[in-house]
Amino acid sequence: MALSQTASELEKADPSLARYNRQMLWEPIGIDGQRKLRDSRVLMVGCGALGTVLANTLARAGIGHLTIVDRDFIELNNLQRQVLFDEQDIADQLPKAEAAKRKIAAINSAVHVEAVVADVNHTNIEQLAAGKHLLLDGTDNFETRFLINDTSIKTGIPWIYGACISAMGLGMVIRPGITPCLRCIFETSPPPGMNPTCDTAGVLGPTVNVVASWQAMEAIKLLSGNIAALSPFMFSFDMWDNRYQQLRVAKARELADCPACKHGELEYLSGKFGGSTTTLCGRNAVQISQPSGSRIDFEHVAKNLSAVGKPSFNKFMLKCPIVQGQGDNQKEYEITLFSDGRAIIKGTNDAATAKAIYAKYVGS
Amino acid sequence: MAVKVRIPTPLRSLTNGVDSLDALGTDVQSVLAEVCQRFEGMDKRLFKQPGELNRFVNIYVNNEDIRFMDNLSTPVKDGDDISIVPAIAGG
Repeated sequence: MALSQTASELEKADPSLARYNRQMLWEPIGIDGQRKLRDSRVLMVGCGALGTVLANTLARAGIGHLTIVDRDFIELNNLQRQVLFDEQDIADQLPKAEAAKRKIAAINSAVHVEAVVADVNHTNIEQLAAGKHLLLDGTDNFETRFLINDTSIKTGIPWIYGACISAMGLGMVIRPGITPCLRCIFETSPPPGMNPTCDTAGVLGPTVNVVASWQAMEAIKLLSGNIAALSPFMFSFDMWDNRYQQLRVAKARELADCPACKHGELEYLSGKFGGSTTTLCGRNAVQISQPSGSRIDFEHVAKNLSAVGKPSFNKFMLKCPIVQGQGDNQKEYEITLFSDGRAIIKGTNDAATAKAIYAKYVGS
Repeated sequence: MAVKVRIPTPLRSLTNGVDSLDALGTDVQSVLAEVCQRFEGMDKRLFKQPGELNRFVNIYVNNEDIRFMDNLSTPVKDGDDISIVPAIAGG
């Protein structure tokens, strides 16, 4: 059969790539594209729901070098959608980045994985991005996405936005200087607490898989040199409502008055925008200063948080206890949110943990 | 004249789960005014101030961004599909 002969020829041409022959049989990739994937270096920012699907798919596709950065540990309620993790990882109390590295080593030992357990912020992202061909969004908050966007503009490295909640998802390929950037589309993020998060409104596994698989496909196109095949649209869908849209965003490159890619104001990378943290000495608490631009609507935030705790509020502040994990791994926190977006997270002295709690339950 | 307005998940807490509605109007402004009138709290989620959308929400008419047409004055016609697309952060 012609097909098996072709597969056989591909294996003979480069035995080290034999495991990818079903992928190389797709003519636009072929052996040249596969070699490009092998020689690619990718920074994955965040390794939760989107990040695990991305890492799994790209490792199997033979992306040569993955740097996976994540600040969080694995919880039982992650396993419903975070496909690289299992119950043993929780028992071993592994950070997500390290657990992902171990899983990928078993899936494809030819992929070099660097696991970085850290909070990605304006002080370290340029170093993490150095030498990479692509930045991938596996984050759960807008602050980090705008930081990736700024870094992409400064370095010229493309990135792929992906986000989801419940059954809804968005995705977009961003190539600085060629396509609109994220701030051409959304100039600002919603104020803290305005929008529900996956931890307050829920998210379905298939939603995550569709968004991350779309991102992974665009990554494979880009890294294998198939630039003409890249999506010029913002991909938008709601799988529960059976709606799939390709939003025409290309005009924003020329017409949006973008502070970042048009005016060069990289406010997140410079540290001007975005939250700052202060560990409150002796209180086992971290303060997060998150400029909101408007007063927080406590009633609305309380409604979101009622899915995970018992919030209470007056006109000055909102409080909500949060319990994470189970058994020996159970941890208790308390969020105190002020009307200007500032918050105190009790139950930790660790800034990255506090930022993760804020992003999950308040939204940033 | 009726257009279909799609309510995205993050805004459905304001609509008791309603995911779309038929609205009357000749331009985007009048259609959104009807949506805001019908659902309490929607105006704050969509508008920074009267006549100015929040910069974390975009409106598309038949998949085209109204910012690059006539913005809120973009005319709509029977059968048009209006999507409210807010910035979402989950992942």
